[in-house]
Amino acid sequence: MKTKKTVGEMVARTGIRIPLVIWSLAVLYPLFWMFLGAFKSNAEIYANPWGFPESFNYQNFITAWSDYNIDTSVFNSLIVTVIGAVLCLALAIPTAYAIERLRFRGSGALFTLYISAMMIPMVLGWIPLFFLLAQFNMLDSILGLGVVYALSQLPFTIFVLTSFMSTIPKSLEESAAMDGMSPYGILWKIVTPLTMSGIITVTIMNAIQFWNEYFMALIFLQSSENYTLALAIDFISNEAQYTNAWGTLFASLVIAITPVIILYAIFQRRITKGMTEGAIKG
Amino acid sequence: MVQPKKQKYIFLAFCLVPTFIMFSIFTLYPMFSGLYFSFFEWSGSSQTREYVGLDNYRRMFNDDIIPRTIYHDYFLVATKVVGIMIMALFIAVALTQLKIKEAPFYRIVFFFPNIMSVVVIGILWTFIYNPNLGLVNSGLEAIGLESWTRPWLGSTTWALPSLVLPSIWAGIGLFMLLLMGGIANISKSNFEAAEIDGASEWQQFWHVTLPLIWPQIKISILYIVITTLNGSFIIVQVMTGGGPDNSTHVMGSYLYQQAFNQYNFGYGATIGVMILALSLITVLLLQFLLRRDKVEY
Repeated sequence: MKTKKTVGEMVARTGIRIPLVIWSLAVLYPLFWMFLGAFKSNAEIYANPWGFPESFNYQNFITAWSDYNIDTSVFNSLIVTVIGAVLCLALAIPTAYAIERLRFRGSGALFTLYISAMMIPMVLGWIPLFFLLAQFNMLDSILGLGVVYALSQLPFTIFVLTSFMSTIPKSLEESAAMDGMSPYGILWKIVTPLTMSGIITVTIMNAIQFWNEYFMALIFLQSSENYTLALAIDFISNEAQYTNAWGTLFASLVIAITPVIILYAIFQRRITKGMTEGAIKG
Repeated sequence: MVQPKKQKYIFLAFCLVPTFIMFSIFTLYPMFSGLYFSFFEWSGSSQTREYVGLDNYRRMFNDDIIPRTIYHDYFLVATKVVGIMIMALFIAVALTQLKIKEAPFYRIVFFFPNIMSVVVIGILWTFIYNPNLGLVNSGLEAIGLESWTRPWLGSTTWALPSLVLPSIWAGIGLFMLLLMGGIANISKSNFEAAEIDGASEWQQFWHVTLPLIWPQIKISILYIVITTLNGSFIIVQVMTGGGPDNSTHVMGSYLYQQAFNQYNFGYGATIGVMILALSLITVLLLQFLLRRDKVEY
């Protein structure tokens, strides 16, 4: 009964494609249009908001870069991303290793504690954290925000790394120990290189997360010279209600999204795999 | 190797203690401290902190805006769950079962918004809803529906529903992939058996695909609910800031306004406790409702 394809079935197959094509347009067109808008003058955005620019001019990028301090915020975002990603790894790798490989009493409970922190809404914690950072002199500081970011992704990172470490054969560590290597050496020279794939995956995802993050930056940063890219863009967006500097706004959106697009283009498989696996357990 | 036992403990401590101390300071302490703060009236400076017992909770129960924020949160939860699940299921089935050649293209495109910054998504969609320049109103005018145009985000009726579309737009990809993973794991023989029994494709979907990917569906729904209750305030903050006239405030954005704009830190913490309690109750309730015996054929 399946062998002969009726005309109706053929039509249905084509019909299935229509929503797929529409949704692709719904995803791609706004992005495409954001890139076009970044090259338009303000007059053109008003005259022809959804079409092609008459000529590509880079003025918006120059304005955003120099007049709206996007240069400083790109730098701040980079720093906070690096601090967050590195610190997160430094904290997560030893703990993930200990939980996965060194049997100790309470390792299961500790793992559960870290994992359940993934599901708890952090908003409540942000109020005390605000005063805590103020006490440590880390409020309105890129370093402070980097530390907060690192800790915010720590449970997820531990979770991903333990599952990667569980796939390493134990025999390698055992023979290294037999050769007299210290446990520190085993962790640093054997386990870490073997987990590299997991480390790379989780670091890419953390880095995208930190680069994109908005709300904690909004709470914990105050002066404009410390703004990360997300805050600077939000600021330009709020100003644009009055200044109508839409072109500049689009240019800064393009600056913010380009690194993410590049990372996605290179690491598409890692990112999608990491996120789906994170969701399944989390 | 004089004292291997002792060395082992030192190494264990090296692995666990620094991380746990940092985790305690920056995650555990703030959570519990937030609970504690909710019993104080506090505007930020240390002199003015005053123990008020349950006053903040009483105030919360009498605050007219609170029930609205709760309703707004659950409105977003419900519309997102329905919208994302229907679309993600449709796309996942279409891309796996129907042998479409360009499926990888769709997969890559549909997932991309998941890794975009909420700020970028929010600003992009604010512009799409822009009353004069935006795509929505221009589109309506182009097809002759001028009467339907409105200031979407500036209207107390339409602002909240307008937030649903960007949230779905940004969320579908992940759940599409989750469901596709589930479908890929279904053994071909199940479909072959169903086909021999003369089941139509629609029947196959209802009686084979759907029951067998129930675990993935359950995880997806739970995940959408958790991330919405814990994070919907971000897109609200970017797109409307809770306005116009509090018509889009969700619990988290109201907390932010109370604590960090109006310096009612004690009251803000009380709202945080409510968010925590509601999301825990909701997740437990959902887990109970969605439980269903595992199906195996």
